[in-house]
Amino acid sequence: MLITRLKSEQTITSLCAGKVFIINCHGCKEVGFPEEEANALQKKLAEAGKVVGTLTTDYVCNPTELALRLRGPMAKIAEADAVLVFSCGVGVQTISETLEDKPVYACCDTVELPGFQGVTPLEYDCGQCGECFLNLTGGICPITACSKSLVNGPCGGTKNGKCEVCPEMDCGWERIIQRLKEQGRLDVLRCATQLHDFNTDQATKTAKESE
Amino acid sequence: MDYTKYVLKSEEELKDLLAGKDNFFVVACNKCFKEFETTQEPECRCLMDLAEAQGKHITGSVNIDFLCNKVQTEKKLAGIVPEETQNVVVISCGLGVQTVADLEKVPTFTATNSLNYVGHHGMALTKKTCGACAQCYLNVTGGICPIVDCSKSLVNGQCGGAKNGKCEIDPKKDCAWEKIYQRLEKQGRSKEFLDEPVQLRDYSAVKVEEIKAYVAEARARRYEGFYGGVHPTENKGYTEHLALQKFPEPDTVIIPLAMHIGAPANPVVNPGDYVKVGQLIGEQAGFISAPVHSSVSGTVVAVEPHTHPNKGPGVMSVVIKNDGKNVLDESVVPNKPLEELTADEIIEIVKEKGIVGMGGATFPTYVKLKPGKPIDAVLINGSECEPYLTADHRIMLEYADDIIFGLRAMMKAVAAPEGVILIEDNKPDAVALMEEKVAPYENIRVVAAKTQYPEGAEKMLIKKVMGRQVPSGKLPADVGCVVSNTSTAKAISDAIQKGMPLVERAVSVTGDFIRNPGNYMVKLGTNVQSLIDHCGGITGDDVVLKMGGPMMGAPLKDTNVPIIKGSNGVIAIAADHTEEKECIKCGRCVDVCPMELQPLEIYKYGQLGDAEKLLTLNVMDCFSCKCCEYICSSKIPLVSKINAAKGLVMPLLKKK
Amino acid sequence: MKITELFQNREFVVSAEVGPPKGIHIDGMVEEAKKYLTGVHFVNVTDNQSSVMRLGSLATCKVLKDAGLSPIFQLTCRDRNRIALQSDLLSAAMLGIDNILCLTGDHTKLGDHPQAKPVFDLDSVSLLYAASMLETGKDLGGNELVGEAPKFAKGAVVSPCSDSIDAQLVKMERKVKAGAEYFQTQAVFEPEKFIKFMEAAKQFGKPVQVGIIIPKSAGMCKFMNNNVAGVHIPDELIAELQADKEKTKAGITGVEIAARIIRECKPYCQGVHIMSLGWESKVPALLEQAGL
Repeated sequence: MLITRLKSEQTITSLCAGKVFIINCHGCKEVGFPEEEANALQKKLAEAGKVVGTLTTDYVCNPTELALRLRGPMAKIAEADAVLVFSCGVGVQTISETLEDKPVYACCDTVELPGFQGVTPLEYDCGQCGECFLNLTGGICPITACSKSLVNGPCGGTKNGKCEVCPEMDCGWERIIQRLKEQGRLDVLRCATQLHDFNTDQATKTAKESE
Repeated sequence: MDYTKYVLKSEEELKDLLAGKDNFFVVACNKCFKEFETTQEPECRCLMDLAEAQGKHITGSVNIDFLCNKVQTEKKLAGIVPEETQNVVVISCGLGVQTVADLEKVPTFTATNSLNYVGHHGMALTKKTCGACAQCYLNVTGGICPIVDCSKSLVNGQCGGAKNGKCEIDPKKDCAWEKIYQRLEKQGRSKEFLDEPVQLRDYSAVKVEEIKAYVAEARARRYEGFYGGVHPTENKGYTEHLALQKFPEPDTVIIPLAMHIGAPANPVVNPGDYVKVGQLIGEQAGFISAPVHSSVSGTVVAVEPHTHPNKGPGVMSVVIKNDGKNVLDESVVPNKPLEELTADEIIEIVKEKGIVGMGGATFPTYVKLKPGKPIDAVLINGSECEPYLTADHRIMLEYADDIIFGLRAMMKAVAAPEGVILIEDNKPDAVALMEEKVAPYENIRVVAAKTQYPEGAEKMLIKKVMGRQVPSGKLPADVGCVVSNTSTAKAISDAIQKGMPLVERAVSVTGDFIRNPGNYMVKLGTNVQSLIDHCGGITGDDVVLKMGGPMMGAPLKDTNVPIIKGSNGVIAIAADHTEEKECIKCGRCVDVCPMELQPLEIYKYGQLGDAEKLLTLNVMDCFSCKCCEYICSSKIPLVSKINAAKGLVMPLLKKK
Repeated sequence: MKITELFQNREFVVSAEVGPPKGIHIDGMVEEAKKYLTGVHFVNVTDNQSSVMRLGSLATCKVLKDAGLSPIFQLTCRDRNRIALQSDLLSAAMLGIDNILCLTGDHTKLGDHPQAKPVFDLDSVSLLYAASMLETGKDLGGNELVGEAPKFAKGAVVSPCSDSIDAQLVKMERKVKAGAEYFQTQAVFEPEKFIKFMEAAKQFGKPVQVGIIIPKSAGMCKFMNNNVAGVHIPDELIAELQADKEKTKAGITGVEIAARIIRECKPYCQGVHIMSLGWESKVPALLEQAGL
């Protein structure tokens, strides 16, 4: 799940040397989209006479829907020197592939949010590391719950049960050990030294190909 | 493309996992982000067979989709794991495993590995990826992502590893920088790239603290009051500041005899009759029905079928030529003061004056006032959560005293000790005014709620204000509540204080494509096209007209239709050209359905014609708020699909 | 000489810590070390301590070794992946630097390059494991090393006064299993907590050097209480430092406190590790007062 935040006004203005066509994606607005800020900025650009047209739509990451929806404003887009996109990085790439001859600019930075499914950001996060450690850790993910993604136990940076990187965040390993202790399962940590495998995308490919 | 995010661990790993443990309960998620099929995924069976072959006892198993949805999973898991269970095994991605591990007291294990799909985040199973690096480089790279498309995530240009345009670590993969150069060259932007300063990645741009705080806040916001809901762009700026104007006298009115839910009224006038404002022209025709009155004085031209804004052609209507004199009917006389009216007298007035729910549902109000159960509170819905519409907002600002009078009358009618007016916080002026106006009444309060569609729906309103859940298939009265719209409250006030039946209402004529939007007090039976013409007509050629808001409003195929009791707005908005595609189980509809239904399942089992299954999915609870359709990433017209599914279930319900 | 041999001889092992400079001029540091640290058995050289970029640990170790001192090479997992870490371990062994201390390392965000990519490909446990693997003549990838395998004295750290002792003990056990042969601790200011911890840690049968910081001022103590993980300085000690400001400023109070803590902990551990934080000059006095 992704959220977008606006790039600085200066950056966006610098992308408007000529006339621009604006595309807003509201597909993931329920997750996070800086609608008000984007509107305010677009109003300014329009007042400066930069904007030839605007399309506010959703799920621009879907190439077939996108093509349908771009049909109407195509003439306006042709008038523009560039297309400004207010969406996540997936949307920008889909539009720039669809409009291959036109400079397509991203007006947002994209940040990953915990959880992949649905609209509501989740309190759980899965790093999709491809080598699930949850059985060692009482069902708490050490990849995402630990700032250093440590898989062999806590580092020495815990202070009052909090993380050294982010004092508002509970130390993931503190939580893991607490949970295991409650379940009388601390023994599981007497396992062999764990080593990250950063080659799991290969495993993914193999899994998909064998399907 | 299929983003299924887990695979079963290897047999050896699973044997190790099962060793030394027994009495397993299996929880399996049927995967998401893949084409939706109703057959069970094989992993659960696979694991159970393996466990049984190892001589292990399985205490039970359950398939739950979207395990990661904690609110729903908690309810679905409640009480189904047998006592004897010592270990829970989950088949799901890491999110589902963590959710179950958090909810269950017994040790919880995963039988799967989440697949490494980092970067694939499009809703549409697109091949495009985004690394969510928080420092988008796409402007430098011609819209091709160097973070995920380049194996080394290089941001300053190609490495020396490309061979024949392919990546050094995967000869099947195009070199991203090769593609970037080509795209930039094509657009004549190579020089622009050369002049870019050296790019340095900022790994601190993703701020864990900020994200965590955002997540916590977003989660709290989304579950505040009631589950689900959406936040469509409000677009109320066109008309919220415009005072209600009296719409010019229409030449002719066409008043349908069906402007309410239930049996249409029976006409009591004939062509040639002279009628006056407020005169009865159609008699109530049953318990769930309402009388109809003339909105003008003049001559009845015809009693004949006409096109109705919701029901289409062929609805019996009374056509009256307006003489413009507004002669009042003799029946329009003020009633006794509220203090002297009995509950039964109030209900009788509400019934005789043809008052129905004016928020759009048009249920006869008098029926609601005879709940036959003790009522704790009367709730006034001033949320007006539909985008664009501002009629209720203006009514609150301009008829605040009438609304409170109407509320007090309803409270008296049902002997409710409390009255509550809920207003969304995007109308601070209305909140302030109402708070001031209710100050003298100890038993009436105003609640300013965060905007969230469909807050104005009865069941959502009750949950938000009273914290009470109306059970499936039950009515507000079952939890001690009566809900009414602001315009309805105002109409009740008019009926009691002036003796005036429901013959006019506030209508917003607005939208992105109305030349001069405005709010009007419009006589029932006024032609919709004349409203649009009065507002300067439609701008643009690719426009959709709706009666009501964009969410629950009915599309106006024909504008030669009258304004009726439930017509809170006429809007002109952009047409959206989409194509219905296969459901990809993204789960968004499940997340937004305020009735906590599973729209995608209803859609699928509706297609399969499985009425029994549909009944277990509580299909009849759907009230067509359209949140699911609004959020659907495959553009499936879910509301009409669900309505069709309801049709399948009806015979079954009748049998039972 | 390997630090483990000293432990085997039942000596009370003393080590002190130096931080390489941010720059290439190292003479001052070497002079100080020669002047004040001759009484200690080993000198730990930190690895970009607190995520602040400095001169490399390995190069500094080599210089100190050439100057006649016995360095302990500290390695963190923050800045290098497993290839670089193993490579550096081989380099150290080749230079005759065989005392190592394996740490995870502070997060990059805490240092002077917060934008840097934190690596953490390995962590302290897997780094110890990597060193153990190298000792068997193979690398982490299972590939044979050419010629004789290196031998290290593999050290690790532990936080005995941490507020999460269970977590620390679990990690300590994992470190032992991965090959840790001795431990140095985070600074101890509460001997009773340390002693309690040692009761529990005894089961691992590995020598432990108690960590000592000479408290410089009440302000420094309060700062550490608020900001340094696993360190807690009791109010009585802070009061002691506040009592006579001049004496504290001269380092006399601090040395007294540190010596007292060493004396109290000594019966329960196998050595002491002094983190002098710039007060190398106080080390001789401290050793004398502690009776070492």
